Amino acid sequence: MAGIGAQGLDSGKNILTHMGKFRIERTGGIPLSLFLIVALPFLGSVLPALLIRAGRNSAYLSTAAVTLLALVGLLLNAPAVMRGETVTARLDWLPGLGLNANFFLDGLGLLFAGLILGIGLLIIIYARFYLSREDPMGQFYSYLLLFQGAMVGIVLSDNVLLLLIFWELTSLSSFLLIGYWRHLPEGRQGARMALAVTGAGGLAMIAGMLLLGHVAGSYDLTAILDQREAIQASPLYLPALVLILLGCFTKSAQFPFHFWLPHAMAAPTPVSAYLHSATMVKAGLFLMARMWPVLSGTEAWFYLVGTTGLLTMLIGAVIALFKDDLKALLAFSTVSHLGLITMLLGFGTKAAAIGAVFHIINHATFKAALFMTAGIVDHAAHTRDIKRLGGLRKLMPTTFTLATVAALSMAGIPPLNGFLSKEMMLEEAAHTVWADYGWLVPTLATLAALFSAAYSFRYVAHVFLGPVRDDYPTEPHDPGAGMWMPPALLTLLVVLIGLFPMAMASTLVETAAGAVTGGQVQQVHLKLWHGMTPALVMSIIAIAGGVVLLGAHGWLDRVWNAMPRPEAKEIFDALVGAATRASRAVTDTLHDGSMTRYGAILLAFVLALTGYAWFSGTLAAPTRRTMEIAIIPLLGWIGVILATALVVIFHRNRLVTLVLIGVVGLVVSLAFTYLSAPDLALTQISVEVVTVVLMLLALNFLPRETPLESSPMRRMRDAALSIAAGLGVGGLIYALMVRDFAFPTISDYHLANSYSGGGGTNVVNVILVDFRGYDTFGEITVLGIAAIVIFAVTRAVLNSPVRAYLLNRKPSEPQSGDAHPMIMVVATRMMMPVALMVATYIFLRGHNLPGGGFIAGLIAAIALVMQYMASGFSWAAERLRFPYSALIGSGVLVAAATGIGSWLAGKPFLTSAFGYFHFPPLEKFELATAMLFDLGVFLAVVGAVLLALESLARFAWRPGIASEFPMDINPAREVEETTAEEAR
Amino acid sequence: MESLAEILISAGLVIGGIFGLVGSFGLIKLRDPMSRLHAPTKATTLGVGGTLIASMIHAPLFEGHLSFHELLITLFLFLTAPVTAFFIAKVHLHRNERPETLPTPGEDRLWATHDADRDGNRD
Repeated sequence: MAGIGAQGLDSGKNILTHMGKFRIERTGGIPLSLFLIVALPFLGSVLPALLIRAGRNSAYLSTAAVTLLALVGLLLNAPAVMRGETVTARLDWLPGLGLNANFFLDGLGLLFAGLILGIGLLIIIYARFYLSREDPMGQFYSYLLLFQGAMVGIVLSDNVLLLLIFWELTSLSSFLLIGYWRHLPEGRQGARMALAVTGAGGLAMIAGMLLLGHVAGSYDLTAILDQREAIQASPLYLPALVLILLGCFTKSAQFPFHFWLPHAMAAPTPVSAYLHSATMVKAGLFLMARMWPVLSGTEAWFYLVGTTGLLTMLIGAVIALFKDDLKALLAFSTVSHLGLITMLLGFGTKAAAIGAVFHIINHATFKAALFMTAGIVDHAAHTRDIKRLGGLRKLMPTTFTLATVAALSMAGIPPLNGFLSKEMMLEEAAHTVWADYGWLVPTLATLAALFSAAYSFRYVAHVFLGPVRDDYPTEPHDPGAGMWMPPALLTLLVVLIGLFPMAMASTLVETAAGAVTGGQVQQVHLKLWHGMTPALVMSIIAIAGGVVLLGAHGWLDRVWNAMPRPEAKEIFDALVGAATRASRAVTDTLHDGSMTRYGAILLAFVLALTGYAWFSGTLAAPTRRTMEIAIIPLLGWIGVILATALVVIFHRNRLVTLVLIGVVGLVVSLAFTYLSAPDLALTQISVEVVTVVLMLLALNFLPRETPLESSPMRRMRDAALSIAAGLGVGGLIYALMVRDFAFPTISDYHLANSYSGGGGTNVVNVILVDFRGYDTFGEITVLGIAAIVIFAVTRAVLNSPVRAYLLNRKPSEPQSGDAHPMIMVVATRMMMPVALMVATYIFLRGHNLPGGGFIAGLIAAIALVMQYMASGFSWAAERLRFPYSALIGSGVLVAAATGIGSWLAGKPFLTSAFGYFHFPPLEKFELATAMLFDLGVFLAVVGAVLLALESLARFAWRPGIASEFPMDINPAREVEETTAEEAR
Repeated sequence: MESLAEILISAGLVIGGIFGLVGSFGLIKLRDPMSRLHAPTKATTLGVGGTLIASMIHAPLFEGHLSFHELLITLFLFLTAPVTAFFIAKVHLHRNERPETLPTPGEDRLWATHDADRDGNRD
């Protein structure tokens, strides 16, 4: 067992060593590295959070500057991509796990990153003027940048594992954004729903990607994309496809997972505009496009993706027509358009893929503009309910113009860009045959386009046209330039791409479509007039039908509202509720707050497991002889056994138990000394002292006796379990000790290399600060966290009603009039410098002789604890000049800085250096960087122990408990008082 | 010379051993807590002291170096033993005795440990 453990340690060490060796490669003569483009939003997310103190404009400008910088960096890379090159940046992170921080920029990545950063910039400007004074703007921009970074990470990743990390990050950061207005229950529920649905999809996708990587033999995307035949021939193709599509469909709100998107509309409008036009929901589409070369072209792909897309397109369009909330209408229209793009990707032909890419651009432009105009209407009229709006044309002419152009583009009216891509969609749909039904896809696609035209017309007609009303909640008016400029810019793009598609978009579409379809750059012809094609006929039917539907909307609306419909939120809530109840039933049974139950469950489980191991395995013959029993170990053994037995007998009396446990600890440290392990003995003794002091402090608040609570049966069960487990552990250790290890242990390596490699003869210390320094670093961090958690818990308790109880608590026994006796005070004061000197001594000699930072820290902590004990907590606390949390923090920082220092020498983290120095008149001595690291350990230990003590002691505080003097009775003071009185 | 040293060392060890035994025996034998407090003092002073003296003679004569650890141990014992004994006595006075059962404390009104209200405040 230990052998396996040692191997595990070794491989862990290998990973760490490899982590240090970053191999960075870049190609393509990059003006701004892809690393930086991805990292910028993450790094920049700190800025708004800090700069909000300097005002809203500082936060806003810093956010915009970060995004602009990333966008410029991206555009500098654009020419190379347009020439057909692929820009890459590679960094081997954990090659052992196949996880590399590789990024690459091709046409598709450029398109998406451009959309994310470009529209992101506009959204940032828009949000500055949209958010009100009460909204915490710094937080908003921080979340937005985090989200932006995650999205850019997704589209530039060249490693599927890295992509998955960014994928989950978008789920998390979008949760923060959707729930930004945390005072709104809809906001919180919407955020939770979005997280549950997209997060669950993300989990499915992780499984799918792992399968895919397994089949391809690499987790690098470019390597996977080359293996179309191998992957499609694999039996794992179908499960991988289904799992990956689950991730894509949930993210891109495809039927039947579309329901989260409308509920996410509770977010502020800039968030909706950003998440649901250009970024979050497009991530699923992006991934389908990215995986298109390997996954598409099969029947499974066509029927899964194409059908889902078609259904989503139709259902989304129909529901959108009957939504009265402006944002809900836009949300369902987004669902419908996402369906359209999914369907095009599902068709699996190159022409359809070009259409999909083109529609991604067009949809992003007009939908972001529409969301922003909806936000403007909401802002100006204080309502988003279409039934309460109308006639805004005269009151808000600018907004009207922008909204109309964008909505007509969404409806597919020439010469706007929406028409072009919708035409391409209809063209593809016209000759797609679904399971021998040639008419099915064209008909449904036309129907969806018809509804799409209808709701687009409704957005214009019912909000802006019609008579001016006199019952708006406020006086609607056009907003300032900051709010209408961003949608105006997008609307301008809508018109320009529509009029001059070849000049505006063909190169981008060409490179992006080339990347989707697998590298071949094709001649893309984007034009308004193709002649009288079937697509044009379908388009005309759709637009005409849309006008008719709009006319009949009043009547249809009544019918629609009268129909029973499944309510997605109720179904979702019921499902989540059932899952919550089920998991609560399980956890409440297993985890009911009773320590004995946890112990019993754990022991029973371990016993069953080891029982299975015992009966299914074999045991080799003993290879070692047992030693003769000497008298001194026997006495120690009897002592431990006796103390343990007494603990069992007297365990209801807590004070006696503590004393007995102390006895066990002392005998154990004696055993360490006897077996020549002075380090362990020193540690054991100092830990023992600190523990007993802390436990005594805690016992102060607990009853003297443990009450008898469990039934005899329960106690029988517990006794049986503990005896079985105890015998098992004893037997296991005995079996181990009479055999040699099956594998060579790592100890020999440590013994051989301690002096030459770590410069110390105390192997224990060298292991702690050098060989396994990374573990120690983690441990002191955990220790610090534990102490801070104790602090936080006591703080929380003291802020609760328990505080009143503690303050009014009467001592259960008479208190002493001389609680801080002179002899104790004087002795501890005298001991303090001595103890600190001993700590220093133990610390300094630690590298070569028994000692070190951990033990020294405990000794120093004990020296300070003695002062608390002698003069009382409050008296000592008043004389404290620095907080213990700072001590912990500085300890961890010193250790980290020492570790980082080795980077400056070009070595891996925490490589220690040492040398021998001679300063007369001192003797020659050794200095090692490990000593600095040990200093960090020392500080963290002192801080953690004392913070824990201080936190517990806070419970005992009552008014007037603080003593004025260090000792209660001091004859010298009385003499002074009498002389002072006599002088008066 | 060597045999003299050996005799001295042996004497130290024997004295140490005897007083260690006496101290432990007294701890069992004596009935009253205050009397019982006397017993371990023999072990910590003469008992440990004898052993330490033996060790200090042994080091320069048989190991060839001076040893001062024993002095430190003595120092620590002298510091800690009285504090421990003091606290044991104090706890006994506090928990097992009442002001009436104790001799009068001279010029003070009460023994210090009883001189407080339930909250521990002295008047």
